[in-house]
Amino acid sequence: MFEVRFHGRGGQGAVMAAQTLAEAAVIEGNYAVAFPFFGAERRGAPVLAFTRIDAKKIYSKTQVYAPDCVVVLDDSLLDTIDVVAGLKPDGMVVINSKEKPQDIDLGKEIKTAAVDATSVALEILKAPITNTAILGAFAKAAGLIRIESLEEAIKRRFGEKLGEKVGERNAMAARTAYEKTVIGKSKGIKKLESRKQWLPAYQELPVGGALFEGKTEAGLIGPGSFIENKVSGWATFRPLRDKEKCTMCLLCWFYCPEGTIVRISDRGDLMTNYDYCKGCGICANECPVDAIKMVRARV
Amino acid sequence: MKKVITGDHAVAIGAKLSRADVVPAYPITPQTLIIEHIADFVNDGEMDAKFLTMESEHSVMSAAAAASAAGARVFTATSSQGLAFMYEMLYATAPLRLPVVMVNANRTLTAPPGIWCEYNDSMGVRDSGWLQVYVEDNQEALDMVIQSYRIAEDKRVLLPVMPCIDGFVLTHTVEPVEVPQQQDVDSFLPPYTPDIILDPERPAMIGTLMPAEYIMEMRRQTADAFESAKKVIQEVNDEFAKKLGRNYGGMIDTYRMEDAEAALITIGTVTSTSREVVDDLRKAGKKVGIVKLRFFRPFPSEELRKVLSGVSAVGVFDRSISYHGGGPAYNEVRSTLYGLMIPVINHLAGIGGRDVTKEQIVKMFDLTLKAAKGEKVKEIYWHNTRGETV
Repeated sequence: MFEVRFHGRGGQGAVMAAQTLAEAAVIEGNYAVAFPFFGAERRGAPVLAFTRIDAKKIYSKTQVYAPDCVVVLDDSLLDTIDVVAGLKPDGMVVINSKEKPQDIDLGKEIKTAAVDATSVALEILKAPITNTAILGAFAKAAGLIRIESLEEAIKRRFGEKLGEKVGERNAMAARTAYEKTVIGKSKGIKKLESRKQWLPAYQELPVGGALFEGKTEAGLIGPGSFIENKVSGWATFRPLRDKEKCTMCLLCWFYCPEGTIVRISDRGDLMTNYDYCKGCGICANECPVDAIKMVRARV
Repeated sequence: MKKVITGDHAVAIGAKLSRADVVPAYPITPQTLIIEHIADFVNDGEMDAKFLTMESEHSVMSAAAAASAAGARVFTATSSQGLAFMYEMLYATAPLRLPVVMVNANRTLTAPPGIWCEYNDSMGVRDSGWLQVYVEDNQEALDMVIQSYRIAEDKRVLLPVMPCIDGFVLTHTVEPVEVPQQQDVDSFLPPYTPDIILDPERPAMIGTLMPAEYIMEMRRQTADAFESAKKVIQEVNDEFAKKLGRNYGGMIDTYRMEDAEAALITIGTVTSTSREVVDDLRKAGKKVGIVKLRFFRPFPSEELRKVLSGVSAVGVFDRSISYHGGGPAYNEVRSTLYGLMIPVINHLAGIGGRDVTKEQIVKMFDLTLKAAKGEKVKEIYWHNTRGETV
């Protein structure tokens, strides 16, 4: 049995990646299952997906805790998640990164395949949806599934859902990433740590789960605690406003779903709080005078 | 002061005496009179409550939960389809530990449509996290509204309570009821003082999304509150008896069980009729008694095991069917008595509001006595049902 854990962000297609990998494995005559795990799904929020591949029927319905391979669709996840947790000693990491494997610090020296899947996706798909590109890297690094089977699986799944052309373009993204993937060994200097969680025993949980503003070892809880939940790392793009063009119509301020655009009343100006901006681009889309441009947040 | 009133009227007076602050309501037969009486009380200035006419029962329970979370003492009442329509919000009220009191006037849940007494409405929500108590007369109906607030609002419990009264047999039947004095109720039932309320001055979060990391603990906590409730129910019963002079026994009540060979477990008004039947049978030399199942949630397992340990057979009356063999009470009792090797027989009767006559109850005792003597009997009897032989 070969087990894969995908780490991605809502909107990057981790779930589709896991399903497509399963389909590619089935095309090659295997049995495979794929399933997601996410919380209140939002674009940009960390999500997990899993794929299990075996020659015979798989009965296990649990999550994957000791994967053979970890696929990371977004290297900003390394800041808050120990992506290599439970990874088998001879396992490997496939990561979307501009850096070479030897420059990526995964907390341990481990077989690592890196590809700049975001650039591949932006170039071929015109969107930062990195799932098919990273699958190309997986095919190269794992040697488990042939790239041709993967292309076929992508064409089927994406083609069925989004049309033949989209299917072909995604297969091309996978092939391009496959060819650009660099395989090496990661650095193991810093210790990756997942964000602490407040996990009270049932006797300690406030009655009915009702919470006042409070502080725990794992951080704030209750009303206002989301102030600690900075999401700037989620953004592929961020809005830049051209003050010359801006007419202060306030449509962007009105439409921002996160309330990150703040009015500075004494200056008659606007400010974007990038700590909480997920880079969704709604402000740019709504701006009637094209004063807002979305630019790459991380290069 | 004695008044000759319906069960619905008694319940409405109970809510008034309990000084409910908010009453969201939607009418449904046979509960309608409760709501109408309360509307009159509020209109006439006899009751200082916010009376809200909602557009559905789903909204009633939403409003009830919200008002309770804002710190109000909330009363409402429903029945049958109304209770079914609330289903989602019933499950929201209990784990959030909101001590709402709602009377359910038991009525058959369609299909086929009917308006008469059956327990398939309230039994269907027995795992929603509400405490349930079934009563046998109008006095108990009134008194249990008052007691329910004491139980619900106890800091060891903090769970909603559903007193269940038999549709028509109580709701539309007049009988003398001793109406307690307001000052006596006030001394028994202090104002509700919640620890956490929704108040903009001190923000709190109630009922927000919780991932799997918390929900097991939430359920465990609610299950714990059900355990605590057993003790609180007894305490409240005893204090009520001391202060207001009526003792209902707590989790269960018993009648002539001293040396009983056969016991009939009853719910609701059938208990009342069965008291007369037991007297007759005792006169005829038959050693029979009644155990009245008052609380169905929490279920009185320890109490039943204790009181039934000496009997040779147990009959269980059920006014609804669970479709996998017998009614809900039967299955709970059998599970409770596991290991005691006492035969347990189910007596299904009164479904859809069919009258439960003394003759049927005599039959229930006769069959249970047969089992007590070791004679072969069936496990489940459908009484007074065409095509069935009893």
